[in-house]
Amino acid sequence: MKIKITIDGKEMKVNSNKSILEICRENGIKIPTLCYHKSLFPEARCRICLVEMNGKLVTACSTKPQENANILTTSERIIKARKMNLELMSPNIKINELANDFEAKEIYDQIGLDTDRFVSIKDYHPDLGAAIVRDNNKCINCGKCVAVCAKIQEIYAIDFASRAHNEHVTPYEEKKLEEVACIKCGQCLINCPVGAIQERSHLNEVIKALNNSKKHVIAQTAPSIRATLGELFDMPPGTLVMGKMVSALKKAGFDKVFDVDLGADMTIMEESAELLKRIKSGKNLPMITTCCPGWILMMEYFYHELLPNMSTCKSPHEMLGMLIKTYYAELSKISSKDIVVVSIMPCTAKKYESTRKELHTGVDYVLTTRELGRLIKQKNIDFVNLKDEEFDPVLGLASGAGDIFGTAGGVMEAALRTAYETSTKKKLKKVEFKNLRSGKGIKEGIIIINDKKIKYACANGGANIRKLLKNKNKYQFIEMMACPGGCVGGGGQPIYFDEKVLQARGKALYEQDKKREFRRSHENPIVKAIYKKYLGEPLSKRAEKLLHTKYSVKDKF
Amino acid sequence: MEKKEDILLNILHKEQDKKGYISIEALKRISSERNIPISRLYGVVKFYTMFRTEPQGQYIIELCGSPSCVQNESREIEKFIEKELKIKIGETTKDKLFSVYKTSCIGCCDEPPAMLLDGKPVTKLTMPRVKKLLQELRKNKSKTKKPQNKIKKIKKK
Amino acid sequence: MQILRQTNLEALKLAMDIGSEKTLNILEKKNLVGRGGANFPLAKKWKLAMNSKNKSKEIFLICNADEGEPGTFKDKFILKNNPETLIEGILIASYVLKAKRAFIYLRNEYDYLREELEEKIETILGKSEMKNKVNIEIVRGAGAYICGEETAIMQSIMGYRGQAMYKPPYPIDEGLWGKPTVLNNVETLTCVPQALLYDDWNPNMRLFSLSGDIDNPGVYEWELGVKMTTILDTIKPRKERKAMSFGCFGGIMPLNKDSTINTETICREDCQHGAFSIIFIGKERNIVDICLSIAKFYAYESCGKCTPCREGTIRVLNLLKKIRDGKANEEDLILLKDMSQHIKETSLCGLGQSSTNHILTALQHFRGDFEQYLNKNLTKEIKK
Repeated sequence: MKIKITIDGKEMKVNSNKSILEICRENGIKIPTLCYHKSLFPEARCRICLVEMNGKLVTACSTKPQENANILTTSERIIKARKMNLELMSPNIKINELANDFEAKEIYDQIGLDTDRFVSIKDYHPDLGAAIVRDNNKCINCGKCVAVCAKIQEIYAIDFASRAHNEHVTPYEEKKLEEVACIKCGQCLINCPVGAIQERSHLNEVIKALNNSKKHVIAQTAPSIRATLGELFDMPPGTLVMGKMVSALKKAGFDKVFDVDLGADMTIMEESAELLKRIKSGKNLPMITTCCPGWILMMEYFYHELLPNMSTCKSPHEMLGMLIKTYYAELSKISSKDIVVVSIMPCTAKKYESTRKELHTGVDYVLTTRELGRLIKQKNIDFVNLKDEEFDPVLGLASGAGDIFGTAGGVMEAALRTAYETSTKKKLKKVEFKNLRSGKGIKEGIIIINDKKIKYACANGGANIRKLLKNKNKYQFIEMMACPGGCVGGGGQPIYFDEKVLQARGKALYEQDKKREFRRSHENPIVKAIYKKYLGEPLSKRAEKLLHTKYSVKDKF
Repeated sequence: MEKKEDILLNILHKEQDKKGYISIEALKRISSERNIPISRLYGVVKFYTMFRTEPQGQYIIELCGSPSCVQNESREIEKFIEKELKIKIGETTKDKLFSVYKTSCIGCCDEPPAMLLDGKPVTKLTMPRVKKLLQELRKNKSKTKKPQNKIKKIKKK
Repeated sequence: MQILRQTNLEALKLAMDIGSEKTLNILEKKNLVGRGGANFPLAKKWKLAMNSKNKSKEIFLICNADEGEPGTFKDKFILKNNPETLIEGILIASYVLKAKRAFIYLRNEYDYLREELEEKIETILGKSEMKNKVNIEIVRGAGAYICGEETAIMQSIMGYRGQAMYKPPYPIDEGLWGKPTVLNNVETLTCVPQALLYDDWNPNMRLFSLSGDIDNPGVYEWELGVKMTTILDTIKPRKERKAMSFGCFGGIMPLNKDSTINTETICREDCQHGAFSIIFIGKERNIVDICLSIAKFYAYESCGKCTPCREGTIRVLNLLKKIRDGKANEEDLILLKDMSQHIKETSLCGLGQSSTNHILTALQHFRGDFEQYLNKNLTKEIKK
């Protein structure tokens, strides 16, 4: 139903079911918000989005205007009210320490503060974990971390406890995140407007290694980083910066820069062989991918019965890390003790992944995209004007299939390309799977391999994973990504506020796929060389030892 | 008709009625049985000040701190109890006999100052009355948990 | 007292004989308004719920027995002295609204009344015509003043933290579990059978909870517009009174012996009478001390959801402490007023919106008490 309202003196006809905030955003009118999230039910906690409606101060996110409403989006009264609410939050926000990434910084610049009359009264112990660090002293109780963990991820690791000025976010019994069923996906971090949640930084350790002349420090970069790193230097989302990224790492002091996309190709070789084996035997289907450590944690806490369904493959950077410490060490005649492998990942969960004892990791440190951005800035490297450089050739060439790992549906597409062609010995008519590129939360399809119908599906985001698992037995092969959008939306990525950013990042990876000489993992000459010279064939004894792992189950309490 | 309790507040109260507090084990059990995330259960328990998560003293004293009682010398009673029991508001005595808290208005403004003793009102408190009450409760501790006959009934208007 | 009149299930019989529509008409004509403080016409609220555009036609009834406003104890009086009529009121409401589930949200501070109440419910429901048509359940509160607010009480019943939600949507459209819900106060529901059955039922009688610096505190029943002298004669003031506070939420106004108590005289002083709980303040007291104990109450009872109330109530308390300790100056008074006005205007729910009425009215009517504490020699301070 359409109604007539007036905003800032301008008459307009609007949908009666939309909030003032939605109407304003559609019409390009700026209203600051801190606790508002497009995909979540507005709670109107922060009281920053105040506007005047018929002379009364109301929150724009939660108010739907009636017929003939007279709305003002700015006035002396509104500005004073917003400033006062911001001033009440400011003892926690510590504006001086706030990086530009965080939403609150933009709000601060927009609203401005004339007075700063209050001191902090909070006194919480920060929650330090292997992957994620939470500091309640900085929290403004906007509730986004709680809502995202509950509604979008459906993990429910944290919630509000106590009331009044003692209200704070915590896992049950004031435990640390490490001690409860948290999958370390970092979506809470991505949505925190004030940076009260950050990744556990390993930057200092990496810089120490770089400064140690005795160490041979190798950087390996995840597929999605090349599509997101540029945003940290004000480049538009979806700018491919593969060459600049390599150049920056070399200038920062890394001895070699390898491509985890190659590790992804190796994962495809192992995983598609595993899939074909299981389809032949009919056992332990559907097979579920295991590149995503957030998904692995989810299975270990909540879906113990799926243990036999999990692929035993390690994730791409763990595979490549292990190959660096063995295959590359042999080839280059450098002792593996002197090699330091640093994975640049879009992911906070991977910081936890490399501490898993069963994994026998080759990776020494994991840095997030954001940490890399900090390193580049610390070293005063002029990122935007860097000339493109190439990955080091030994372990630096990847196929397009490896590139698309970074976006939801990519692992499935890459795996199907190889599974189909190696099994049928025929080339796919269309190497691109449009149904896996739709941007939906759950994607599915059917492929026929040697007269066998293979039903496959992908889910990204915790809620979609849970939804898909309800019908899991319909499928033979499932890809699970814990972060919405896949790794392009990972907990280690540049903070984003709009879904369109995720789409742009994913699109860039598909562009990269098109540019590659080889689009399929099994065509990659380096992959072929590694198998010929070192591993033999997929699922060989050596491959099992180096490139596969096992998982356990964990108590959810 | 026997209906399975589905109101969380009542479930938590029943749990607290058993041992005087709600343990983490109890929360885990309720979480598994009712399919409620434990983080939310903990958040609910911590929101309401009359849910306790730790073992309590045998007698729970809740002193009213509302304006009407304050205007009628409730602060003197508070200080007196703190001195007598050698603890501060919010603590439990070492012999695990008394836990003392301060609450918002308990609705006994017509007979101030007032307190709840194990959930039952004791009103028109004076220092001598409180001293006597504490002594009697100490004597009674081996007999019953709730000494009904020792608590004065409220005068009917 | 009118509120103690018994109806012995006769009113329920009458309602079921004449039907819902005629029952609503009578209640409307009798001008029965809510007694929880909002004074909303009862029949109008019930009709709104029954005509709600909600797809579900199931209506829930909640009897609000979470009487938490300091200085209020009239509902306790009813629960102890006339629970039968309250229960009958709930049955009549359930009949008219076709509610299958009715809740009594009983605050934990009144839990000692629960056992007897449960017995009475079983007996009365058992012998009434509403047996098997409605289930009356007692929900046990757990010490949160905010749960007397209508959206918070519903969150609490549904098993969440009792935090307030913004309105609209209103409970009569979307309440418990997304369905239309009617919330009525204990006193209101007790009046329902009385108003229905007795021709001489007086809609202007109100229960007054009086306490503070007086010798005869208690629950009294008077007609709206009662003279101040009548009240003072009954409560036997100890010394000279100077002010009255309407609970914690309604504001503090000077006591005028020649006035009467009705909505107009109270609103004139920028106060709200709510459910007529009055705390009398003696002449010897400094209003700042009263404000301090009220501010402590709000800083403790705020649900914590919205910024102005969560952060503001503790700041206001600290400011009052600073004033009381003689460490404040004129700028602090300005900040106190600004902050109080801000919390009132931008808080999400009624608790926050009324949490500073006591300060604003005290500054208005008793500014001298504040200035008494000001340290005029203190140089300007920027940070508190």
